[in-house]
Amino acid sequence: MTSTTNLAVQRRERLASALRASGFDVLIVYGNAWQGDYLRYATDFGLLEGHGLALVAADGEVLFLLESAVEAERAHAEAAGVGVRWVADAPAAALAELRRRGDPVLAGAPFKLLPRKLLRSGIAIADGTALVDRLLMHKLPLELEAIRSATRLADDAYRVFIHAATEGTPQYGIVAEVEAFLRAHGSADNFMLIGSGGPDVRGMTPPSDRLLARGDLVTTELTPEVGGYYAQICRTLVVGKASDVQRRAFAVYHEALEAGIAAVRPGARASDVARAENEVFRKHDLGVYTTSEYTRVRGHGVGLFPDAKPHILEDVDVELVPGMTLVVHPNTYHPEAGYIVLGDTVIVTDRGAEVLTRTPRDLFEAG
Amino acid sequence: MRRGLIAWSKGELPEALFEQRVARAQAEMARDRLDALVVYTNCTRPAGAAWFTGFTPYWSEGVLVVPHRGRPQLAVALSKRVQDWIERVACVGDVISGPRFGLEAGRAIAEIAPGARIGVLELDDFPSGTAEELQSADPSAALVDATALVDRLRQPSDGAEIALTTRAGEIARRALAAIPRDVATDAAAIAAVDGCARREGAEDAFIAVAPDLLRDDRFVRAQGEPVRLGDAFALRATVAYKGHWVRVARTIVRDGSGDASIAAAFEELAGAATRLPGTGGFGNASTWLVEATTRSQPLESIAGSTLNGASRPPAGTVVTISMTLPIGGLPILVAGPALAGTSERAGALLVAPTFA
Repeated sequence: MTSTTNLAVQRRERLASALRASGFDVLIVYGNAWQGDYLRYATDFGLLEGHGLALVAADGEVLFLLESAVEAERAHAEAAGVGVRWVADAPAAALAELRRRGDPVLAGAPFKLLPRKLLRSGIAIADGTALVDRLLMHKLPLELEAIRSATRLADDAYRVFIHAATEGTPQYGIVAEVEAFLRAHGSADNFMLIGSGGPDVRGMTPPSDRLLARGDLVTTELTPEVGGYYAQICRTLVVGKASDVQRRAFAVYHEALEAGIAAVRPGARASDVARAENEVFRKHDLGVYTTSEYTRVRGHGVGLFPDAKPHILEDVDVELVPGMTLVVHPNTYHPEAGYIVLGDTVIVTDRGAEVLTRTPRDLFEAG
Repeated sequence: MRRGLIAWSKGELPEALFEQRVARAQAEMARDRLDALVVYTNCTRPAGAAWFTGFTPYWSEGVLVVPHRGRPQLAVALSKRVQDWIERVACVGDVISGPRFGLEAGRAIAEIAPGARIGVLELDDFPSGTAEELQSADPSAALVDATALVDRLRQPSDGAEIALTTRAGEIARRALAAIPRDVATDAAAIAAVDGCARREGAEDAFIAVAPDLLRDDRFVRAQGEPVRLGDAFALRATVAYKGHWVRVARTIVRDGSGDASIAAAFEELAGAATRLPGTGGFGNASTWLVEATTRSQPLESIAGSTLNGASRPPAGTVVTISMTLPIGGLPILVAGPALAGTSERAGALLVAPTFA
């Protein structure tokens, strides 16, 4: 049995065990290529197109219903140990199957994404989101190994990014080079944003056709997956030589990242990590740039979803425990330099944060 | 997520085209006595909102509201900081951001029409949390299914859809042509295709591989350790360009001995296309599939050898055909975009999937 197959079996057993402990007979799991983590946990299938429903029984049996014939064919080939069925209408097929099974006690996850037809059918479905979230956040040893591999790949891919970021190159051309590198190294998916320019740039987006210019700050968060598990690196470079303003601004983010990582330890809260990062900005009279007007989160979980729970924000009270994996990133706008990002992937251990990212925390100069 | 080039090309998708589509929708809405039409979108279900506005969320989700008059509005879960990006890449009126975008959309509708009759594309598949928010903004509003209305609007395909699907097909064809015949592994072949498609401006590209056709003729997604390709293998490029999706497949027999069989398979594919929307052209295929993008899902399975009871491909509409043809002792995998025929003209492939 390969480690990937072994991990899939371990996850399914863990999920089935959690169902039994909570008194549910069947968990209805919804997923698509965006919110695919719950489904991947249950089926070990990375959905690319359409959406799907899995019925996970408390004895560990999984029935996977897919509306895309192309994806159903692929699932037959890729999803070991799972019953796969193409159906024209997945919610209708799920309801028919549940009726056939009698009157099982049901939970659904992620609850708010369940198709309306399921919840309007008259059958009782409890919200099983938190049940699965706990499993997604607290990783098994093999899950941590996959995240270590993904982090190594992110480090390597960032070197490709630096090499590709030359004056006159369009943003989408850089991303094309990184994506080709990742495919060549066995990574099937990547979450990636990019920004380039000066103080007018307030965030990152998918790539545009904007050409890189000398003096641009070029930001990226690059998030490849290995075996379904994502790890993220956030770095900023300058096309050409960095200015004093850019260097001074970057130093604040460096300090904030170190403060955030130092706050990662068992028993701390997600809010403690965010507060540690934000205090650095406040100390430099940049506190306003830690608000939602300028930044979304100060980090987040990574795993089967690139933007997983817990979100690192001052109002998120989730306790950090060993086995959680996070990216800590004080990414935000700087009024003199523009949008700057810097972030590392870490594992929460008994002793604090184990930093997986190896790329130096530098303001790189490229092109 | 979408991570290829996302940019509004006004030469290919002029503002007037979107205005025309919205005006047609509003005329149909009046006929169905709807005050607003709501279309859910996320990065995997972008096709409905993209048809009305050109907007594809690279990540996250939202709803498009087409009011009974005036410009469409977008309510999205993306952060407020990317509002200006949305306004750059989409032909849309107001953009509202926030995690409870369903509620925001419901409030916007309630402002223009309290107690509104709201048509929803694919109501049964609508995310229940968003539906609840939409309804909670105005409990007196009625949600009704508007899938048939959108089907009427989108069939047959208009000139822009045909042109952009053709462009997507050309990108996929050129990307597959970039595979060297002596390529060693699945990862190397996929990297060549993926990189080429994105450099050509693809909005996204999913590349699947059948690494050894003598063992298994199913396409899979390569991941992990590279797999050595057999003497005969195939790749399929699923490519999006400006919200228009295609699949193109290429079979390669390394020593060239299968070239005549592959040419014969192309002929079969072209022949099947001429008979669309009829499905009589698939007689020699061991498996076949017709997909179309007419609602929110790109490339929805419409008809096929394994699809019991699926519907007939719509006349005059852009589709993608995929076939497996056993020729010369080998399964030949072919796929390409086509335009289904009408009573006036026969169907045809939009791109000749040849790779010389």
